[in-house]
Amino acid sequence: MSRAFPVISVRAMSSVFKVPVGDRTWQRRTGGSPGHPTPAADEPVRDCRGPGIVAGILAPHPPQLLYAENPSQNEPTSEGGWEVLRWAYEDLRRRIREMEPDVIVLHAPHWITMVGHHVNCVPNPKGFSVEPIFPHLLRYRYDFRTDVELAEAIADQASDDGLVTRKMRNEGVRVDYATITALHLLSPDWDIPVVSLSANNNPYFYSTSSLDQMEILGESARKAIEGLGRRAIVAGSNSLSHLHWERELGLPEDMTYEHAYNHHQYRWDMRLLDLIRAGRTRELREMIPEHIRQTESETKAGSLSWMLSALGWPEDVGEVLTYGTVIGTGNAVCLWDMRGRQ
Amino acid sequence: MNDTMNDTMNDTVNEGATTGTHGHFAGAVLMPGMPQLLAADPAPVWAELTAESKHVGTLLRDAGAETLVVLSTQWFTVLGHQVQLDPRLRGVRVDENWYDFDYGTMPYDLRTDVELAEQWAKEIERTGLEARRTHYEHFPIDTGMIVATGLLDPADTLPVVQVSCNLYAGVEAISTLGRAVMDAASAVGRRVAVVAVSGLSSGLIQQWITPGEDHVESARNEEWDRRVLGLLAEGRFGEVMELREQYAREAQADSQLRALAFLEGTGQVNRPADVRAYGPLWGTGGAVVHWAP
Repeated sequence: MSRAFPVISVRAMSSVFKVPVGDRTWQRRTGGSPGHPTPAADEPVRDCRGPGIVAGILAPHPPQLLYAENPSQNEPTSEGGWEVLRWAYEDLRRRIREMEPDVIVLHAPHWITMVGHHVNCVPNPKGFSVEPIFPHLLRYRYDFRTDVELAEAIADQASDDGLVTRKMRNEGVRVDYATITALHLLSPDWDIPVVSLSANNNPYFYSTSSLDQMEILGESARKAIEGLGRRAIVAGSNSLSHLHWERELGLPEDMTYEHAYNHHQYRWDMRLLDLIRAGRTRELREMIPEHIRQTESETKAGSLSWMLSALGWPEDVGEVLTYGTVIGTGNAVCLWDMRGRQ
Repeated sequence: MNDTMNDTMNDTVNEGATTGTHGHFAGAVLMPGMPQLLAADPAPVWAELTAESKHVGTLLRDAGAETLVVLSTQWFTVLGHQVQLDPRLRGVRVDENWYDFDYGTMPYDLRTDVELAEQWAKEIERTGLEARRTHYEHFPIDTGMIVATGLLDPADTLPVVQVSCNLYAGVEAISTLGRAVMDAASAVGRRVAVVAVSGLSSGLIQQWITPGEDHVESARNEEWDRRVLGLLAEGRFGEVMELREQYAREAQADSQLRALAFLEGTGQVNRPADVRAYGPLWGTGGAVVHWAP
């Protein structure tokens, strides 16, 4: 197996447009105050079937996982592979069903927008998506429903919170493979409405998302979800360590090639996952930038930070459902079950 | 455009020439792939970049180009080097960032020089690199490819071959792709124009602006861009390559300016270039630079 380290060090370059964070609409929508209000002692704990964010998910999107599932929507067929990761998604889907969400809000890194944060507001995205990097693995016919009201509310809220945003209403924009893969693995019947958010970064300029902006965007999403009374799952779609093989040898699903890229990456992934398992989210928040530096983690696209910010960086919650590698990258399926906590 | 560049801007091309070093080289160009070049109501500098791109296309055709060989940094990949083999690429590309602008929707109809592309893949493999043959219906063609080919050859007289830009490939590998395509052109008897679609500094303005508000995002970036272009105009290609990593760090050069290594690999550009236009494209630096055969 040939291996290659990136020869160019990736650096944060994005010259971020920052304006003072404001919020002109959230209180008006909800009659409440920003943040995570703590119920008074005599207030009942929120009904576990009530509105709000019921769970956060780290949902990696290697197209190999979807390819290995052999869904009817995907042209290529496989002999399987990456079963342990896929079994974790299977367990996760069962738990998602139990949560009865109204919507899944997803941030994924491969709808790349050079300027600002975009929200897909097309009511019924439908089309055929050929993955440009792994076209032999993912050629997928997609057809799903957007929760347009929530999509627009998130865009409005993010704009009010000082982010550059755009509502994408053009049906001709191809839905990217990361969005498709993560959503398919979370909800293969596509019967839960979706809100899809873009990633404001650019790999060919080697830019990295501003994690600060991603945290603001997470808060914006939470305000919009709560303002509209949606029962939502927020999913950030990132792999962890992201160095990988430079070649594909033989059958893609031949698992004899599959293992961690190197010990260093694996150890750093385990350090991050240890914090998730222990529910030490404040430490996790501090560690994410260092994990990115050490492993070129795909969390540099900000999806994990966005999701945890939407949850309010909760302590004492967090499960690692599994960890596995895909062409050497580290991938973990993680769940933050927020039911009864808000 | 500064005076130094203007001094070196001369049409040294012998239009209509049909011989290059190998007889297979009809010229090279470095040009941006930002869709603002297609704007119906462009900023003046966008219009200049567009006009110069079209003019260079004329020079390439007059020099006897039979095929456009394109590496676009916007077709970025991570496994090996993808070579497009689909003989006919037709469709409408709606850019995922610029979809609301008139230039964000781009019909395209490209013919691939399959014989050359196949040979190129073989030559790449001969060097020890991985060539990944790509032939899938509805494969997404990148904005840079459509912009460049549309401006260089608006009448669609020339077929194309294209290779992806591996995000992790070093300059040696990218340079090898350039060398390999010249070997392939020689093997199949093709006269090619080699096109690197890449911006310069990449300080995108993170606001929605009007064309008239466009400017290179920082003076430092513009200073870097002009320095690099000045060196290219003076034929100091090697110095540019030596400065490349520093340029990438300090001005966030598009894909670390590795696209220039692609041109270097042809063995035809280590001499004065004709820097025909330079200006901002939504804060990034863009230039049209031509090397005659």
